[in-house]
Amino acid sequence: MAHAERTSWQITWSVWHAMFMREVLARTMVNRFSWFWMLAEPVAYVVVMIWVRELLGRAHFIIGADFVPWLIVGLTAFFLFREGITRSLGAVKANHGLFAYRQVHPVDPVIIRNVLEGLLKTVVFVLLVAGAEFLGYRVLPGDPLGALAAWLSLWLLGLGGGLIVSVGSTLLDEVDLAVRLSMLPMFLLSGVILPLHFLPHSVQQYLLLNPVLHGVESVRLAFFGGYRSLAGVDLSYVWLWNVTLIALGLALHLRFANRLKAQ
Amino acid sequence: MIEVRNVYKRYQGHHGGGWVLRDITFEVPRGVSVGVVGRNGAGKSTLLRLIGGMDAPNRGEIMRRGRVSWPIGLTGGFQGSMTGRQNTKFVARIHGDGQAINDIIAQVEEFAELGKAFDQPVRTYSSGMRSRLAFGLSLAFDFDLYLSDEATAVGDMGFRAKAKKAFEDRVGRAGLMMVSHGEGILKELCQAGLWLTGGEAIWFDSIHDALSAYRESMKAA
Repeated sequence: MAHAERTSWQITWSVWHAMFMREVLARTMVNRFSWFWMLAEPVAYVVVMIWVRELLGRAHFIIGADFVPWLIVGLTAFFLFREGITRSLGAVKANHGLFAYRQVHPVDPVIIRNVLEGLLKTVVFVLLVAGAEFLGYRVLPGDPLGALAAWLSLWLLGLGGGLIVSVGSTLLDEVDLAVRLSMLPMFLLSGVILPLHFLPHSVQQYLLLNPVLHGVESVRLAFFGGYRSLAGVDLSYVWLWNVTLIALGLALHLRFANRLKAQ
Repeated sequence: MIEVRNVYKRYQGHHGGGWVLRDITFEVPRGVSVGVVGRNGAGKSTLLRLIGGMDAPNRGEIMRRGRVSWPIGLTGGFQGSMTGRQNTKFVARIHGDGQAINDIIAQVEEFAELGKAFDQPVRTYSSGMRSRLAFGLSLAFDFDLYLSDEATAVGDMGFRAKAKKAFEDRVGRAGLMMVSHGEGILKELCQAGLWLTGGEAIWFDSIHDALSAYRESMKAA
């Protein structure tokens, strides 16, 4: 093949294309349960939580939204963030063999995994919303553009965190475990399955430091017109984190590029 | 074509580590094939990795003019869980040959002669099969300089003859920089020689001189 010289952007684009095709295959074809689990996990959570609520006696915790739609929206929004983090953990090591090609940098598989995971989670979300709507729940968003903006912000939050933990977990094995373990408290602290507004104001103040809580609640606020969230939920706070985390993550990838390739 | 200027390289880790390469300077003209010789641990693979752009020198600079391949060898370059075909597609895509992907696959399949194994994961390959795939893959692209890190060492006789012919066809158009402990193949394919010893690089215009200098040093040791 004869070749004209390519610009940096053209090279990056062809690497991303190649990496995307590889990751799509690895993510969806290797394990025949992978498709099933993507849908089954949020459904299983919803079913379990409905059962738990029946045990508690159907108390009405949530103001301005039905429990099941509230749960579906919150769960999938949180999973969008969580998958961005956890899929990034192994992204560098899983593609180690491909760093023999100087065109491929350790940051490429992390970005591509996040793009792929974002697309997959969006498809899953649309399917779940459509399914719930079909079953008679009112789930369609009141403010679709706002929902899209909040959804995108959470995705970027996962990407920013993913960029950082992908460097950390490749250089230090312990980071992998620590990050995976931290996802459970994160789940509870982000108000995904239990509403947090019955907690005292002094506690809420600290909970509101968590950008994931802002992201998840922003998605819900865009979906349910009359929904009353915690006072102080603000999507721009998420963006503050997004910009910081992505800048820091890219800087770490630049700083440690050679060590990441060598690991 | 390739200019290596005052290059220093060391690996720092838990075990410390001195300089692997110390103030290396040489130049490879276009179309010239170079055999790299030296004892184990002399920095031959490191040098190839630096020239291939997989790693960066601690000091000094390396200038590449023209298309340089990745270091073709047994380690790295393939993703074990992907099949030979998928790896080929990946490499074709990153080199910007998405349109010609079918031609490239056909070419690699023909050169590597892996048969059904072409659609098996690369981690199931023997070292000979890996080197066939690696070599076939690199030959599908028109590089100006091929970097070979012991890629021919494990091939059988038929494969070696094929690799040799492929390079003879490219004489004048493409150069080769080859690390090998096989004197025969170095003499057959290379004109010039580079001897790495004690972190330094000594250039010989003739591979025969490089080999005899290397042999002398081994006898003296």
